[in-house]
Amino acid sequence: MNKIMSRFGEIEYDPAKTLSFPEGLIGFESLREFVVIPSAKEGLLFWIQSVDDPQIAFVLTDPTNFFLEYKVVPDQNECDKLGLASPEDCHSLSVVTVHQDKTITLNLQAPILYSSETCRGLQVILEKTKYESRTPLPAVKPMPAKTEALPASG
Amino acid sequence: MLVLTRKAGEGIVIGDDIRITVVELKGGGVRIGIDAPRSTKVHRLEVYERIIQENREATQWDIADLDSLSQSLTAEKKL
Repeated sequence: MNKIMSRFGEIEYDPAKTLSFPEGLIGFESLREFVVIPSAKEGLLFWIQSVDDPQIAFVLTDPTNFFLEYKVVPDQNECDKLGLASPEDCHSLSVVTVHQDKTITLNLQAPILYSSETCRGLQVILEKTKYESRTPLPAVKPMPAKTEALPASG
Repeated sequence: MLVLTRKAGEGIVIGDDIRITVVELKGGGVRIGIDAPRSTKVHRLEVYERIIQENREATQWDIADLDSLSQSLTAEKKL
Protein backbone atom coordinates (compact mmCIF):
# COMPACT_ATOMS: atom_id res chain seq x y z
CA MET A 1 0.00 0.00 0.00
CA ASN A 2 1.11 3.55 -0.75
CA LYS A 3 0.23 6.70 1.12
CA ILE A 4 -0.68 10.13 -0.19
CA MET A 5 -1.99 13.31 1.34
CA SER A 6 -5.38 14.78 0.54
CA ARG A 7 -7.27 17.83 1.79
CA PHE A 8 -8.94 15.41 4.19
CA GLY A 9 -5.82 13.80 5.61
CA GLU A 10 -3.64 10.88 4.69
CA ILE A 11 -4.98 8.17 2.39
CA GLU A 12 -3.71 4.63 1.92
CA TYR A 13 -4.19 3.13 -1.50
CA ASP A 14 -3.22 0.21 -3.65
CA PRO A 15 -0.99 1.54 -6.47
CA ALA A 16 -2.32 -1.20 -8.74
CA LYS A 17 -5.81 0.25 -8.43
CA THR A 18 -5.48 3.79 -9.70
CA LEU A 19 -7.42 5.43 -12.48
CA SER A 20 -5.17 7.04 -15.04
CA PHE A 21 -6.05 9.93 -17.32
CA PRO A 22 -3.55 9.98 -20.21
CA GLU A 23 -4.61 13.59 -20.94
CA GLY A 24 -5.50 14.67 -17.40
CA LEU A 25 -8.84 16.36 -16.82
CA ILE A 26 -9.74 19.52 -18.71
CA GLY A 27 -7.85 22.37 -17.04
CA PHE A 28 -5.81 19.83 -15.03
CA GLU A 29 -3.82 18.29 -17.87
CA SER A 30 -0.72 17.60 -15.77
CA LEU A 31 -2.53 15.39 -13.23
CA ARG A 32 -2.60 11.90 -14.70
CA GLU A 33 -3.04 9.46 -11.80
CA PHE A 34 -5.99 9.36 -9.42
CA VAL A 35 -6.98 7.12 -6.53
CA VAL A 36 -10.62 6.00 -6.48
CA ILE A 37 -12.25 6.29 -3.05
CA PRO A 38 -15.78 5.20 -2.23
CA SER A 39 -17.94 7.43 -0.05
CA ALA A 40 -17.71 6.45 3.64
CA LYS A 41 -21.49 6.12 3.68
CA GLU A 42 -22.88 3.67 1.21
CA GLY A 43 -24.13 5.70 -1.71
CA LEU A 44 -24.10 6.83 -5.29
CA LEU A 45 -21.23 9.26 -4.98
CA PHE A 46 -17.53 8.49 -4.81
CA TRP A 47 -14.40 10.54 -5.27
CA ILE A 48 -11.06 10.52 -6.96
CA GLN A 49 -7.93 12.02 -5.45
CA SER A 50 -4.94 13.17 -7.47
CA VAL A 51 -1.81 11.23 -6.56
CA ASP A 52 0.34 14.25 -7.42
CA ASP A 53 -1.61 17.16 -5.94
CA PRO A 54 -3.22 16.81 -2.50
CA GLN A 55 -5.47 19.79 -3.21
CA ILE A 56 -7.19 18.22 -6.19
CA ALA A 57 -10.04 15.77 -5.75
CA PHE A 58 -13.30 15.36 -7.64
CA VAL A 59 -16.64 13.88 -6.65
CA LEU A 60 -17.96 11.57 -9.36
CA THR A 61 -21.14 9.60 -9.99
CA ASP A 62 -22.62 7.33 -12.60
CA PRO A 63 -25.01 9.70 -14.39
CA THR A 64 -27.35 6.88 -15.41
CA ASN A 65 -28.37 6.65 -11.74
CA PHE A 66 -30.24 9.89 -12.37
CA PHE A 67 -30.60 10.16 -16.14
CA LEU A 68 -31.53 6.75 -17.45
CA GLU A 69 -31.17 7.61 -21.11
CA TYR A 70 -27.76 9.26 -20.79
CA LYS A 71 -25.28 7.52 -23.04
CA VAL A 72 -22.04 8.69 -24.60
CA VAL A 73 -20.49 6.60 -27.33
CA PRO A 74 -16.76 7.21 -27.81
CA ASP A 75 -15.38 7.63 -31.32
CA GLN A 76 -12.48 5.54 -32.62
CA ASN A 77 -9.91 8.07 -31.51
CA GLU A 78 -11.31 8.06 -27.97
CA CYS A 79 -11.46 4.25 -27.94
CA ASP A 80 -7.77 4.19 -28.87
CA LYS A 81 -6.87 6.57 -26.06
CA LEU A 82 -8.81 4.43 -23.58
CA GLY A 83 -7.46 1.16 -24.96
CA LEU A 84 -11.02 -0.02 -25.63
CA ALA A 85 -11.64 -2.87 -28.03
CA SER A 86 -15.26 -1.87 -28.51
CA PRO A 87 -17.16 1.38 -27.85
CA GLU A 88 -19.75 -0.77 -26.04
CA ASP A 89 -17.25 -1.42 -23.22
CA CYS A 90 -17.10 2.25 -22.37
CA HIS A 91 -18.64 3.64 -19.17
CA SER A 92 -19.55 7.25 -18.47
CA LEU A 93 -19.01 9.13 -15.24
CA SER A 94 -20.03 12.67 -14.36
CA VAL A 95 -18.07 15.23 -12.37
CA VAL A 96 -20.25 16.45 -9.51
CA THR A 97 -20.19 20.06 -8.34
CA VAL A 98 -21.29 20.63 -4.74
CA HIS A 99 -22.60 24.18 -4.46
CA GLN A 100 -22.58 26.44 -1.40
CA ASP A 101 -26.24 25.70 -0.67
CA LYS A 102 -25.37 21.95 -0.68
CA THR A 103 -27.25 21.27 -3.89
CA ILE A 104 -25.31 19.37 -6.51
CA THR A 105 -25.12 19.53 -10.27
CA LEU A 106 -23.69 17.05 -12.73
CA ASN A 107 -21.47 18.07 -15.60
CA LEU A 108 -23.25 16.15 -18.33
CA GLN A 109 -21.59 18.22 -21.05
CA ALA A 110 -18.09 17.02 -20.18
CA PRO A 111 -18.35 13.38 -19.12
CA ILE A 112 -15.45 11.18 -18.11
CA LEU A 113 -15.33 8.17 -20.38
CA TYR A 114 -13.60 5.23 -18.82
CA SER A 115 -12.64 1.65 -19.38
CA SER A 116 -12.86 -0.69 -16.42
CA GLU A 117 -10.45 -3.06 -18.18
CA THR A 118 -7.59 -0.65 -18.74
CA CYS A 119 -8.53 1.66 -15.80
CA ARG A 120 -8.07 4.62 -18.08
CA GLY A 121 -10.25 7.71 -18.17
CA LEU A 122 -10.74 10.57 -20.61
CA GLN A 123 -12.78 13.72 -20.10
CA VAL A 124 -14.47 14.83 -23.31
CA ILE A 125 -16.59 17.85 -24.22
CA LEU A 126 -19.80 17.03 -26.06
CA GLU A 127 -20.57 19.31 -28.99
CA LYS A 128 -24.10 19.94 -30.24
CA THR A 129 -25.62 18.50 -27.11
CA LYS A 130 -28.65 19.32 -25.00
CA TYR A 131 -26.68 18.34 -21.89
CA GLU A 132 -25.32 21.13 -19.74
CA SER A 133 -22.26 21.55 -17.57
CA ARG A 134 -24.50 22.32 -14.57
CA THR A 135 -27.38 19.91 -14.73
CA PRO A 136 -29.45 19.80 -11.51
CA LEU A 137 -30.62 16.42 -10.32
CA PRO A 138 -34.19 15.56 -11.06
CA ALA A 139 -36.21 16.35 -7.88
CA VAL A 140 -33.65 15.93 -5.12
CA LYS A 141 -34.01 17.72 -1.79
CA PRO A 142 -30.77 17.28 0.16
CA MET A 143 -31.94 19.65 2.93
CA PRO A 144 -35.40 18.67 4.25
CA ALA A 145 -35.92 22.11 5.84
CA LYS A 146 -35.53 23.83 2.53
CA THR A 147 -38.84 24.31 0.76
CA GLU A 148 -38.20 26.67 -2.15
CA ALA A 149 -38.35 25.05 -5.55
CA LEU A 150 -35.17 23.77 -7.10
CA PRO A 151 -34.44 24.93 -10.64
CA ALA A 152 -36.31 22.83 -13.17
CA SER A 153 -34.14 20.21 -14.73
CA GLY A 154 -33.56 20.24 -18.48
CA MET B 1 -0.82 37.06 -30.53
CA LEU B 2 -0.41 36.83 -34.28
CA VAL B 3 -3.19 38.76 -36.00
CA LEU B 4 -3.89 38.21 -39.71
CA THR B 5 -6.45 39.76 -42.01
CA ARG B 6 -8.34 37.26 -44.16
CA LYS B 7 -11.23 37.56 -46.62
CA ALA B 8 -14.04 35.08 -47.19
CA GLY B 9 -12.62 32.06 -48.99
CA GLU B 10 -9.11 32.66 -47.67
CA GLY B 11 -7.50 30.60 -44.97
CA ILE B 12 -4.68 29.85 -42.60
CA VAL B 13 -2.51 26.76 -42.17
CA ILE B 14 -1.35 25.85 -38.66
CA GLY B 15 1.42 23.27 -38.50
CA ASP B 16 1.34 20.42 -40.97
CA ASP B 17 -2.22 19.30 -40.66
CA ILE B 18 -4.59 22.05 -39.54
CA ARG B 19 -6.33 24.29 -42.06
CA ILE B 20 -8.72 27.06 -41.11
CA THR B 21 -10.86 28.71 -43.77
CA VAL B 22 -13.08 31.76 -43.53
CA VAL B 23 -16.25 30.41 -45.15
CA GLU B 24 -18.58 33.36 -44.90
CA LEU B 25 -19.06 36.74 -43.23
CA LYS B 26 -22.65 37.33 -42.33
CA GLY B 27 -24.54 39.57 -39.91
CA GLY B 28 -21.56 40.36 -37.69
CA GLY B 29 -20.52 36.69 -37.48
CA VAL B 30 -17.79 34.75 -39.22
CA ARG B 31 -18.32 31.16 -40.32
CA ILE B 32 -15.08 29.26 -40.00
CA GLY B 33 -14.20 25.91 -41.54
CA ILE B 34 -11.64 23.74 -39.75
CA ASP B 35 -9.81 20.76 -41.20
CA ALA B 36 -7.84 18.96 -38.51
CA PRO B 37 -6.88 15.38 -37.62
CA ARG B 38 -9.56 13.57 -35.60
CA SER B 39 -7.26 13.44 -32.59
CA THR B 40 -7.15 17.25 -32.44
CA LYS B 41 -9.78 18.61 -30.10
CA VAL B 42 -11.68 21.57 -31.52
CA HIS B 43 -14.07 23.48 -29.26
CA ARG B 44 -15.70 26.87 -29.04
CA LEU B 45 -13.52 28.90 -26.70
CA GLU B 46 -16.32 29.84 -24.30
CA VAL B 47 -17.44 26.21 -23.98
CA TYR B 48 -13.90 25.04 -23.29
CA GLU B 49 -13.38 27.76 -20.68
CA ARG B 50 -16.71 26.96 -19.03
CA ILE B 51 -15.66 23.33 -18.58
CA ILE B 52 -12.32 24.39 -17.07
CA GLN B 53 -14.17 26.69 -14.68
CA GLU B 54 -16.69 23.96 -13.78
CA ASN B 55 -13.87 21.48 -13.10
CA ARG B 56 -12.15 24.04 -10.87
CA GLU B 57 -15.34 24.62 -8.89
CA ALA B 58 -15.88 20.88 -8.65
CA THR B 59 -12.65 20.59 -6.63
CA GLN B 60 -14.19 22.77 -3.86
CA TRP B 61 -16.15 20.36 -1.72
CA ASP B 62 -16.10 19.01 1.78
CA ILE B 63 -15.93 15.44 2.96
CA ALA B 64 -18.83 15.94 5.41
CA ASP B 65 -21.06 17.16 2.55
CA LEU B 66 -20.15 14.15 0.49
CA ASP B 67 -21.21 11.73 3.20
CA SER B 68 -24.55 13.43 3.89
CA LEU B 69 -25.32 13.92 0.20
CA SER B 70 -24.41 10.38 -0.64
CA GLN B 71 -26.67 9.10 2.09
CA SER B 72 -29.66 11.26 1.16
CA LEU B 73 -29.31 10.46 -2.54
CA THR B 74 -29.32 6.77 -1.80
CA ALA B 75 -32.39 7.19 0.41
CA GLU B 76 -34.20 9.07 -2.39
CA LYS B 77 -33.25 6.42 -4.86
CA LYS B 78 -34.77 3.68 -2.74
CA LEU B 79 -38.13 5.47 -2.42
